[in-house]
Amino acid sequence: MTRPAAPSAAALDVSFLAMVDDWRRGGAGCDDAGFDAHARALFVHHVERNEPYARYAQSCGFSAVRQPRAWREIPAVPASAFKDATLATFDVARAELEFHTSGTTADRVGKHFVERAALYDASLAAGFDRFMLADRPTLRFLNLVPNPRFNKRSSLGYMLGYVSVRRGDGGAAYFVEDDAIDVPGFILAFESALEAAAAVCITGTAFAFAGLLDALDERKQSFAAPSGSRIMETGGFKGRTRIVARDELYRRLEAALGIPQASIVAEYGMTELLSQYYDTLESRSSPTRIKAAPPWLRTLIVDNAGREVAPGEIGTLRHFDLANRSSVVAVQTEDRGYAARGGIVLLGRDADAPPRGCSLDAEDLART
Amino acid sequence: MRTRRRAAVRSTPKILRELKAAQIVDAIAGAAERWRDTDFPPRVRATRAVMERLAYTEPVVDYALDRLFGAIARDALRATIAGELGSLDALDDFVARQGRPDVRYAGLDLVTIISSDTTIGVAIPPLVFAACAKSNVIVKDRSDRLVAAFVETLIAERPEFGEAIAVETWNGHADPRAVAHLSTSDAVVAFGGPEALRAIRAHCKPDARFIPFGHRTSVGYIGRESLAHEERAREAAAGAARDALLYDGEGCLSLHALFVERGGALEAESFAALLSVACDAVANEFPGDFGARAPAVAAYREAAHFRASQGRGKVGGGVVTPHLVVVDPPRDELPPLLPRTLAVYTVEKPADAAAFLRRHALPLEGFAVAPGARPDIVALGVEAGAMRIARLGTLQAPVLTGEHGGVGRILPFVRAISREG
Repeated sequence: MTRPAAPSAAALDVSFLAMVDDWRRGGAGCDDAGFDAHARALFVHHVERNEPYARYAQSCGFSAVRQPRAWREIPAVPASAFKDATLATFDVARAELEFHTSGTTADRVGKHFVERAALYDASLAAGFDRFMLADRPTLRFLNLVPNPRFNKRSSLGYMLGYVSVRRGDGGAAYFVEDDAIDVPGFILAFESALEAAAAVCITGTAFAFAGLLDALDERKQSFAAPSGSRIMETGGFKGRTRIVARDELYRRLEAALGIPQASIVAEYGMTELLSQYYDTLESRSSPTRIKAAPPWLRTLIVDNAGREVAPGEIGTLRHFDLANRSSVVAVQTEDRGYAARGGIVLLGRDADAPPRGCSLDAEDLART
Repeated sequence: MRTRRRAAVRSTPKILRELKAAQIVDAIAGAAERWRDTDFPPRVRATRAVMERLAYTEPVVDYALDRLFGAIARDALRATIAGELGSLDALDDFVARQGRPDVRYAGLDLVTIISSDTTIGVAIPPLVFAACAKSNVIVKDRSDRLVAAFVETLIAERPEFGEAIAVETWNGHADPRAVAHLSTSDAVVAFGGPEALRAIRAHCKPDARFIPFGHRTSVGYIGRESLAHEERAREAAAGAARDALLYDGEGCLSLHALFVERGGALEAESFAALLSVACDAVANEFPGDFGARAPAVAAYREAAHFRASQGRGKVGGGVVTPHLVVVDPPRDELPPLLPRTLAVYTVEKPADAAAFLRRHALPLEGFAVAPGARPDIVALGVEAGAMRIARLGTLQAPVLTGEHGGVGRILPFVRAISREG
């Protein structure tokens, strides 16, 4: 096996953007060999330019000299490492984007520095177009997230801001401020879309949707959204004390907003990644939703010792995102799931593990 | 196996209140003595049921039952009651007190105890003391029927217990029967997390005594003098390992954070190595695993591995060995409240640990110290809000003669009647 030479950032970006472009045009984007070659080239790029990652890789037995033989071997940093070190291949003063994680008990937040916004833009737009806008070019975006103009460190906010402008009909709006939902504002905007028969895309976290539904229940209001409307739900209930089962949430959303459950799409992304998973079109009507991603985002399911599990077995998700050129290509999450035909099934974290003993846990502190 | 036969059930049931407290104590101690025998059939059955319910290994369940019933001894019961009420006789009649009016303690009419679904037999000590107070007691038992089995033994000792104690299945606080019991009880003992306790409390009558045992955690502190000799350090490590791993580290008395002073003959990092060895030994004695929280432990281990690769802290175990020791995790994060996982924080002085504990506002049950701990270390345990300060290695073996959760054993179940003049 030949050892990839240390590739330049520019060369990697050109190669990556070509991959995205090919996929957008209906091509494969990258095949197994292409993914492997690009991922290993990124590894070399990262260990030579990203010192904290190089130290971590060294502790896992890899370096620019002793390189992984295949993308599956590339050491994955735990997502929490973005809190503990600056994982960047460049001087972060030059970062075009800087995203922060949220929802932890620590003072430190994870920071993901992105050298070139074009990589994130290309990746998110390609995925969004394929999985959310396959049937139409634009929608009216009603976003249950803070306006990204006032929250520039949210990767979700950036993404929704991007698609609202580039794929919106000009009527996009945001309805969360200071962690509260502007319900009257949302209703006004929704009614305006109804009058204009403008199909809407309502985006937000599961937590925000639960809050909206409670408010609509109180007002005893429900709607029938214009045909072609859809919902993009993301983020789950991470860091929140309230849990609502997804089935129940989707059922209530359909009843309150008149958007069929098959038009509710769960997106799965992370601040630490620049590409996203979405429910596949085929699985949106089935009880088990399978998530798919663009071909430059691949995921291994690993056991608690970090070994790949057998197909179909439940494990923890380890992502390899070729869009992460300026940070790290491989990120180990705490999210659980299993591989399924054409993608993965996401199970969330292990917070539902049955309790034992009388010991305190972090959830207890959150609930106190 | 015990061969002594017990008296047959008396034909005319008596009321518990007609018994002298000393008779009740003797009967309870007698029942507990039977349960100390590992071959006692009800214990054998209960052991299996507890193992099935909680998935602990047999040595762990045996340890728990040995500790539980070993502690319920005649002398311990008498000493505890005399310590809290001044005299055992005060449960039977008025007794004189120096410089104060005579006093008699009457048991509250009805005490309800809701067993914990996640622990082994924690409802039994309050049951025992409520019975000593001569209260009527309703115990909401769990699926292993451990409490019910013990009550059957009590009744075999004295049928009067059968009149005073009822054991029922707990079907949740919304169960109409549970609501009826909670709303008529004079005292309610409950174990559980904040939501469960809040819900149970809401059903209690306004003037009921509510004795909650919420989820808590435990920490320890080792002064540099305890690391002066390797033998002492090894002993401290063995104790810490036992406290951390028993019950898979899931009890309120499980050690989750250990503060170790720098500047001893043995540095904290070397102590952590001793700790890992000690954990191996405890894991052999009390086998266990990370259970359903294994993914969270793995994530914690990987985060620690990353920090260690950056020269911050160390990590040991967690992959092959069923325990994880992490040295110097970030101070702005909670200690790992995970099974079989212990964080070692190196400190200069108790004030450093105090700052950490204050910052995270951890509700502490136990505070473990090395033998002969300095006064400033003991003072740290008091300041940090611990309910119990104990020697390393004994955290999981609280004595019956001590208080539980910061309150007395029998005091919550009695009403003091003073007679003046």
